[in-house]
Amino acid sequence: MKISSRQICFIMIAYTAATKLLMYPTLLSMASGNDLLFSALIDFFIGTAVIWSISFLCSRMDKTFFELIKGTLGEVTARIVFGFFAAFFLLSTLLPIFEQVGYIHNIFYDTVPSLGVFLPFFVFTVYAATKKFTNIGRCADICLPIFAVSILFIFITAFSDVQWDNLMPILKTPALDIFRGAANTAYAFVEPCWLLMFMGHFKYKKGDAAKITLSYALGAATVLLFLAMFYGIYGAVAPSRTYAIARTSLFFPAIEVIGRMDLLVLFVLEIVMLFALVLNIQLAVYALVKCTGYENRMFLSFLVNGALLAITIFCNSFYNNINELFYNWMWIMYIVFVVALPVIAWLFKRRTA
Amino acid sequence: MKNFFNINKFAVIIYWVIFLALAGMFFTNDFGLVDIHKTSIITAIGIDSEGEEVKVTAEIAMPQPSQSGENIRYAQVQGSGLTIADALNEINSKTGFYTKLQFCRLILIGENCRDNQLFRVLGCLYRKNYSELTALVAMCEGKAADMLANKSQVSDMTSEAIRKILSDEIEKSGNANTANLKDIALAEFSHSRSCFMPYVQITKPGTSEEGGNGDNVGGDPVEGGGSGESGGQGGGSGGQGQSGGQGGQGGQGSNQQGQSVEFTARKTVYFSNGLYKGILDEQQSFALAMFKSKIRLAVLPCEGGDIHHTIGLRNVEGDIGVKVENGVPKISFSFSATAQIQGARVKVDPSTTNKDDNVDDKVLRGAEEELKKRFESLFSVCKESNCDILGLKEYLYKHDYNNYGLVEKDFYSVAETECKINVRSVH
Repeated sequence: MKISSRQICFIMIAYTAATKLLMYPTLLSMASGNDLLFSALIDFFIGTAVIWSISFLCSRMDKTFFELIKGTLGEVTARIVFGFFAAFFLLSTLLPIFEQVGYIHNIFYDTVPSLGVFLPFFVFTVYAATKKFTNIGRCADICLPIFAVSILFIFITAFSDVQWDNLMPILKTPALDIFRGAANTAYAFVEPCWLLMFMGHFKYKKGDAAKITLSYALGAATVLLFLAMFYGIYGAVAPSRTYAIARTSLFFPAIEVIGRMDLLVLFVLEIVMLFALVLNIQLAVYALVKCTGYENRMFLSFLVNGALLAITIFCNSFYNNINELFYNWMWIMYIVFVVALPVIAWLFKRRTA
Repeated sequence: MKNFFNINKFAVIIYWVIFLALAGMFFTNDFGLVDIHKTSIITAIGIDSEGEEVKVTAEIAMPQPSQSGENIRYAQVQGSGLTIADALNEINSKTGFYTKLQFCRLILIGENCRDNQLFRVLGCLYRKNYSELTALVAMCEGKAADMLANKSQVSDMTSEAIRKILSDEIEKSGNANTANLKDIALAEFSHSRSCFMPYVQITKPGTSEEGGNGDNVGGDPVEGGGSGESGGQGGGSGGQGQSGGQGGQGGQGSNQQGQSVEFTARKTVYFSNGLYKGILDEQQSFALAMFKSKIRLAVLPCEGGDIHHTIGLRNVEGDIGVKVENGVPKISFSFSATAQIQGARVKVDPSTTNKDDNVDDKVLRGAEEELKKRFESLFSVCKESNCDILGLKEYLYKHDYNNYGLVEKDFYSVAETECKINVRSVH
């Protein structure tokens, strides 16, 4: 087996949270105002249910998702589905990459750096994307403790300035806005697809379904607490505060005296964010390997990263347009890949049985 | 085909090439590294309004190469334009540095901005990533440019001298109602649509307001203060002194003699719907601080048994609640604190000073009367100006949403008040 259930749990805790700390809180507060927690809850509730259903499916069989489709609909269909998955993972990486570019440029630099500052990221991803599930698991082992310490620091430093009543009155935002907020930010919830790819690649032990689901719920709780603190600090101004993770500690009294010591933690947290981002690229390469049957990961990694690099360079000025596109339409992809396909996996299982 | 794409064997070479390329970019400054000695940092800005234009005066810190310790020069540079961003762009062209306001700790708004919409003036600062919302905001007497051009006895950096009177410690004593960019935006964009900020004034050093009972902080006015032209006017820059052993650099204060000044911020300016409404005096500001700040020790002058006492208030708990009964908002001011005598206009008897924590009932009632007078005065300002600086409408919106809509419009005109004040002796 290539990855352990413990490592999957770590991924569910750390990466679930790490991928939702930059623009997600800002966009959600823009859509749902002080009821942003309810929009997030909708997505997390669906995500938890899907994660549970996939991990429960793993308890009933030890096939990979590819083998499952192949056993039911034939190899060609399986290859096509994985081709779509590769495209989906690639697409899911796109907006987070632009978010990372903006985050690094705006938070870590006081000047206006060129795009070249970010491009070494692709040197890292080309290498990382050639690695298999064993490597993904080891990275998760490293990332979880780093993430836990960093986010704890952020929570402690942010706590003193949170006005919890900024979240009141509860549920007075029109229901349509709350659901729209959930739909518009659904593109950030790809975790069930990660688990679909891990299917059959880890040895299921009794109770793993509950552990994986609870780990995801823990990651979700971390995000919900962060969202509450972010809105508690900024209230009505929250929609104008981009890159939320870098904004919450600013009012900590010691930072006024010592300076931006929180940047040290943000640098560390950035490592986890990058690994979480790279996971999508790694899975895109894995899906491409399955789709094409071509085992040379280095070539496929160059292909995937080359495409991402080209899009990053040519679309750098169109972040707002891409954001709007994802914001308005990505929920359709979410329903297909994150909700429908895992449910269909159960039907495949029955037919295979 | 397979051999052709077997890039693994070239991996080492590829990575060396990439490493060398990155190293080349790093050492040729393509990463945009900045030499701290060749740059300047905006530590404060003053905003003045002249007709349609805004004039922004930036206090700039310029680190100087030095062999012994810290050495920073300060200067004012001015820019103007229809927006603050225009003005900052002009400052950028004069200083040669990208003017992000990441290190700006103070934003002074000149009195001449009174007629403008506050959030049109400050709007630029709330836009994405321009500056953090931690910068303190204050309105000053006269022009902001003049205020920043003053010299202070307490610090070479004028903005630092002003920030000292807006510090957390001052706030904890109820001597100023400080506000940062976030505070005023949260208040203004709440359902109260009102905000406040401290009002900075200057006085001659070594003077104080006569006839004051400890409340009226002030002193002799500075000649020419608040009306003179700043050193940086017209786009020039006026040196304002140096730290770290170098001599002064021809400071050009706003006052006529170029003398040092003292700053105070005991008064509070308040706004409604982004428009200037008025200034709270020292007593009203004190009352506001009791409910808005976390007070550690506040000093209250009062009369007790025909003798003037100065009382120290500790364990202060000020709370304002509002509830709606029969369509009428009922506001309850609830205040409790423990008191000890800090001073009295009687001859001190050393053998009895250990009983200062045991305050006489007459003095306690006197303190309560004084507090009640101040709270009522503050409330009458809110009522007359229909300016919800106490944030009661927002409180009602959050805690009693269903009734908020019923009383929102005529809130202050129909509101009934109840005041519960309990000042007790420490022992």
